[in-house]
Amino acid sequence: MDKLIEERIFKILMVVSLGIVVGSLFMVIAVIIWNGAPSLSISMITQTPKGGYYLGKEGGILNAIMGSLYLAFGSVILAFIISLPAALSLQKDYIGKTRLAYYIRLSLDVLWGTPSIVYGAFGFIVMLYFGMRASLLGGIIVLTILQLPIMIRSMEEVIKLVPYELKEASYTLGATRFETTFGVVMRQALPGIFTAVILAFGRGIGDAASVLFTAGYTDSLPRSLLDPVASLPLAVFFQLGTPFPEVQRRAYASALILLLIVLTLSIVSRYLSRKFTKNIIR
Amino acid sequence: MNIRKLKDAFAGRLMLAAALFSSLIVLLMAIILYLRSRPILEVKTLNDLLLGSIWMPFQGKFGFYPFIMGTLYVTLLAMVIAVPLSILSSIYLAEYAHENVRTKVLPVIDLLAGIPPVVYGVWGVLAVVPAISYIAPVIGNLGIPFLTVKGYSTGYSLLAGGIVLAIMVFPIIISISEQVLRAVPFDIKEASLSLGATRWQTIKHAVIRIAYPGIAAAIILGFSRAIGETMAVLMVVGNVPNIPSSVFDSAYPLTALIANNYGEMMSIPLYDSALLLAALILMLVILFFTVAARLILIRIERSMAYG
Amino acid sequence: MKSHISIQDVNAFYGDHQALRNITVEIPQKQVTAIIGPSGCGKSTLLKCLNRLIDLTDGASVSGKIIVDGINVLNGSIDVTDVRRKMGLLPQKPNPLPMSIYDNIAYGPKLHGKPGKKEMDEIVEKYLKISGLWEEVKDRLKSPANKLSIGQQQRLCLARGLAVEPDIILCDEPTSALDPVSSQHIEQQLLKLKTNYTIVIVTHNIHQAMRLADYVIHLYLGELVEHGHANEVFENPKEERTRAYINGTFSIDLKIDSEANLKGKMCPFNFVYAKQALHNLEDGKILKIIVDDPTAVTEVPRGMEADGHKVLIVKEINKTDWEIVIQK
Repeated sequence: MDKLIEERIFKILMVVSLGIVVGSLFMVIAVIIWNGAPSLSISMITQTPKGGYYLGKEGGILNAIMGSLYLAFGSVILAFIISLPAALSLQKDYIGKTRLAYYIRLSLDVLWGTPSIVYGAFGFIVMLYFGMRASLLGGIIVLTILQLPIMIRSMEEVIKLVPYELKEASYTLGATRFETTFGVVMRQALPGIFTAVILAFGRGIGDAASVLFTAGYTDSLPRSLLDPVASLPLAVFFQLGTPFPEVQRRAYASALILLLIVLTLSIVSRYLSRKFTKNIIR
Repeated sequence: MNIRKLKDAFAGRLMLAAALFSSLIVLLMAIILYLRSRPILEVKTLNDLLLGSIWMPFQGKFGFYPFIMGTLYVTLLAMVIAVPLSILSSIYLAEYAHENVRTKVLPVIDLLAGIPPVVYGVWGVLAVVPAISYIAPVIGNLGIPFLTVKGYSTGYSLLAGGIVLAIMVFPIIISISEQVLRAVPFDIKEASLSLGATRWQTIKHAVIRIAYPGIAAAIILGFSRAIGETMAVLMVVGNVPNIPSSVFDSAYPLTALIANNYGEMMSIPLYDSALLLAALILMLVILFFTVAARLILIRIERSMAYG
Repeated sequence: MKSHISIQDVNAFYGDHQALRNITVEIPQKQVTAIIGPSGCGKSTLLKCLNRLIDLTDGASVSGKIIVDGINVLNGSIDVTDVRRKMGLLPQKPNPLPMSIYDNIAYGPKLHGKPGKKEMDEIVEKYLKISGLWEEVKDRLKSPANKLSIGQQQRLCLARGLAVEPDIILCDEPTSALDPVSSQHIEQQLLKLKTNYTIVIVTHNIHQAMRLADYVIHLYLGELVEHGHANEVFENPKEERTRAYINGTFSIDLKIDSEANLKGKMCPFNFVYAKQALHNLEDGKILKIIVDDPTAVTEVPRGMEADGHKVLIVKEINKTDWEIVIQK
């Protein structure tokens, strides 16, 4: 009987654990909505901060929303341009099986694990070296570096799953590696590549520590790549840091906006990646 | 040599260049951080820096000890909370849960991974911190070691940081260990079950023994994520540079130190060098853990592939 | 007989394992040549050498010469894409590309030239007609290829291979994944195509080889056992191993007088056991033995023949086990 009791106890513990894990997600979402929704208003998302905004006066965080979108889109595009060829070169048709590829993967994994605050500090040093100040461009570059390992490693995983027979079919028709890679592999891996991009986008839009020193913060919309730019995570952080309850409530609302963007993205991406699977060979 | 072959060769080079470029960033980062933290290493011994407990940049005193301990404590606390919950959850998902449950819960856990740190921070401020300030006086007066309260707790504490971090590392540990557990060959489970073992005995004696290295790797990756987390911890941990003696005390981790001070007050000599040394230390710790975890995972992958 | 492909002293290795040993044979033009033999005998390897697909296998190496139209295919410095273009491959399992039916056919021609829209439409129609698929798909050319039935997919693969205008069609057990009706369909197409193409088909289905082949190559454990015109090889094989293989796959009802299971026994002990078992039988009686040692598969029949017994069947019955039937 003992072993059955033990099994039962552990099974209960497991269910409780899973309950806590899943419950904590819903609690996070619920708490943010509960506290953020009351302060959410149209002016929040359509206006930039007016004079005295941080004392509780009129305005919104359009600067941060737009800033975050600029930063995230800019960096995702840049990261994609580098990541796609990099991930494709890690196929076994290219360098995938070599020692070099092993070290490339390892260093990407280390880069993936590196704290974003370290990216931020590194980015700041490099920007100082080139005489740049905190700007949209600086933020984009640092976020690009942050997204590279995420994109490359996730893309590589899905590219690895492309059945070898498909490549073989292309080769027997006399295609080169390049033609096979871009004509066949890319098509088959498209949904996965899309998911990797969304993953990186979410990470980019949500990261605060790396843009803290590199993108700066401003109440106006950036007019050029060299202007400083606000971002949502930092908007949350700074508003929360003020001593005024009114402004703190806006921080909660800002956090809600950020959360909504990320959740929408994740749900839309799941839906879209299903649409891409029309031609996929299973 | 026709144009198609040229294109192929050119694209191959370009792709390799992209891969090399991406992988060299990490090296560049380490070198630059080292070069920039050398000034302080020339003036002070590593011993002074790592074990000195006085942090007074204006007087040129840069003791990292409280911050290192802050990082260590908050990370360990997070792991104490996260590891049992995550492992139990992943065992349940991999071994007991119905396919329907599994395919619904795993995306939810993925969602958890996608929430930005700053949102977790806000949640910590709104829910965890007040809860702790509420229960701290009740538990704190019982005199249990590590659970004492000196006077009054604001709730901004090691415990708040630990809880927030724990939730942030759940998805990492769960998704990797669930995969590892499910990769355990079915014959092994079958063999054990056919000998009359219960399901739990099979898991305890056979499955976990085989999946153990993978679970260890999952924990290491979770640990390195927790050590490097900045914003969420910074918002709830209190940021007081002392060595915490209870989970209700405030702490000041290295990441928070860099985030709060870097970029300002650069006029103080050696200050920025000291902060970049902190960044370098963090990076080296992460390097060590990542390499360890990857080596374990690669070995598992190989052993699965060959046998 | 005009030779189209001349294979000269080809050896192939996967790491240390030798998959092909000194293969020298001519493959005739505009005829169907069947490569027969049990699985693992090197049939597919030989096929992969012809179109250099073996380059893509890890740790594989090939030596020797394969001359096609005066060019040595195995020469490292030639343009391998041209070689492959010259030889269409019909794979074991249909492998449509992740795109529409139309684009599957258009994929190859697009690589090797840039036909206009109208030309391309004609190409697609022409080859779908040749492969006998046109009537079934002409209304849904833009729909994904993965929606076709598996038999249709295989004919699509045939059309796709033909669309790059090869001279040679290589078939790697092209019907092994198909149902009987689809298989028949493919076989009919191949018979029609041999007036214009040199066809090489790898098959372990002896009946298929008999239906299709004009010329036969029998490989056994990487060695060339016999080659010649189909009717000669099938009706009057010169080699005992070929006869055993053909008989084995026919699985004639032989009256087995005695059986010995020699699984787990190593060479030469299984040979000794088999001799002992035979010793107890009268002349003309039949013994069946089961072995799982790969060397026994060649050595036992060889030894038995040397001793004057007759080896009737050598047949692979599953991944590890072989059946050898001997008449005293």
